[in-house]
Amino acid sequence: MNTVVITGASSGIGLETALLLTQKGYNVLGIGRSEINCNRAKEWILSKNPDANITFYLADLMQQGEITRAADEINEYLNEKCNGKLYALINNAGCVRSWYMTTNEGYEQQFALNHLAGFLLTYKLMPALLKAGGRVIMTGSQSHKGIKINWDNIMLQKRYNPLTAYKQSKLCNMLFAKGLNDRFAIHGIRAYVVDPGLVKTDIGNKETGALVNFIWSLRKRHGVPPSVPAETYAFLCDKKNAPEGLYYCLCKEKKYSRQVTSENADRLFKLSERLCGVHYGEVLKI
Amino acid sequence: MTVLITGAAGGLGRALANECGRRRYNLFLTDINAEGLSCIKQGLERQFDITVATAACDLTNKESVDKLLDIIDKHEIRFDMLLNAAGMDFEGEFIRRDREQLVKIVLLNNAATLRITHAILKRRRPGRQFTIVFVSSLASIVPMPLKATYAASKRFLLDFAAALRQELRKDDVNVLTLCPGGMVTTKDTMLGIKAQGLLGEATTNPLESVSRITIDRALAGKSIYVPGILNRILSFLARIIPRTWAAAAVYRRWNTAQSKWLSISS
Repeated sequence: MNTVVITGASSGIGLETALLLTQKGYNVLGIGRSEINCNRAKEWILSKNPDANITFYLADLMQQGEITRAADEINEYLNEKCNGKLYALINNAGCVRSWYMTTNEGYEQQFALNHLAGFLLTYKLMPALLKAGGRVIMTGSQSHKGIKINWDNIMLQKRYNPLTAYKQSKLCNMLFAKGLNDRFAIHGIRAYVVDPGLVKTDIGNKETGALVNFIWSLRKRHGVPPSVPAETYAFLCDKKNAPEGLYYCLCKEKKYSRQVTSENADRLFKLSERLCGVHYGEVLKI
Repeated sequence: MTVLITGAAGGLGRALANECGRRRYNLFLTDINAEGLSCIKQGLERQFDITVATAACDLTNKESVDKLLDIIDKHEIRFDMLLNAAGMDFEGEFIRRDREQLVKIVLLNNAATLRITHAILKRRRPGRQFTIVFVSSLASIVPMPLKATYAASKRFLLDFAAALRQELRKDDVNVLTLCPGGMVTTKDTMLGIKAQGLLGEATTNPLESVSRITIDRALAGKSIYVPGILNRILSFLARIIPRTWAAAAVYRRWNTAQSKWLSISS
């Protein structure tokens, strides 16, 4: 049985994807922040699919220490139960903020969770992914278009605009996937970004101010249920031969921003390595 | 430029540390939370390629502060700026609060701030301008029922800083008092601001620009910084209406906001 890790698996797109993948026979390891929500999610999945193989790990991925701890626990599990192999990692956890807020490291929260958390978790799980010739899938967004990375002020400390921070973090997802493919495709790894489209989830209602809350409440009414994008994640996991594209929506390849170049991807890779204190090159040496 | 920041592991202190990091100042950070300190040290060093010194310290404890000063003296560190960001708040009716927690507000916000300010003034870099920032609050402008101790402790800082400024003028020291409204630093502060409704969000100040402008103004020798136009209007009004009226108005407002806040956060 193939094992898949999904972050942000206790609600929204992550939860539906977790359910669908258990139905397709995957062993799913979910990561969530709140124990109550994770327990509720597990019960819900088991009520829909009594045979589901689903385990939840608790971690606040906003904090780098917690990412490392959760990754250690998962690696231990993989070594015991799965011959050290991880078939896919879905970096789905994300947030929207109304204000400039920082993590314990002093990093802007949307950048830290939407991009850096996935970057560090992928690094920590890379040995297991390499063993399985695995896939890494990021939850992206159409909003990655029409923006450039603000290299001198990537945490937007100088002039914070919540929407710019979100868009930029989603462009980072694209660049990270591109950077992973540039480095690890020859080692059997493939990375993708899924555009879930407009989805009826609570992302814009969690820890946001009145304005963002209100706008999102109006917008999400037109959204599709999270079971729709879940299909795209399952498609990218299921295909026997890894699909060649980078950016997928509704199980089809989609055009992406011209900012997604190897040059920008390299630059972001180096910066993210520094901010997380890791070097991807070392994974290959082991 | 060597800067000491208290309360640097969270909230406004952490934002000020980020701002100083962006300016590539040399930083010495202290906080009661040792784990948080090592996180922000790591973050700043990775982000800005600077060296950051840290030492955990309970500023309300004399021995703990003496140890901090020993470290500073052993390394012969001398400062150009002190940012007094350490502070605390407990909300609610005076009589229903825990006695020791109430006392602790004054011990930290006032007594500890005096102790560290006095000690660091003695350790300023000779022959250079020195800058001190006190973090007061919009809460300092009127007596605040249901935040009585906190608001009064912030008033203490406001008055103390204004007086100290005059004393130290001849020694080339700038003293700035920052009086911000609410700032979203944690999930809890955000829920607190939400509970206050529209006025809560309107008086909220963006953390990143408050940090930047505070340092700009302090370096420019300004005496007080009230961020936000609405907050400036409120602080002006507070000066012209009788204090008993203001206190009564605040009581009505906090009463509803706090019961709402308690229902959200419980």
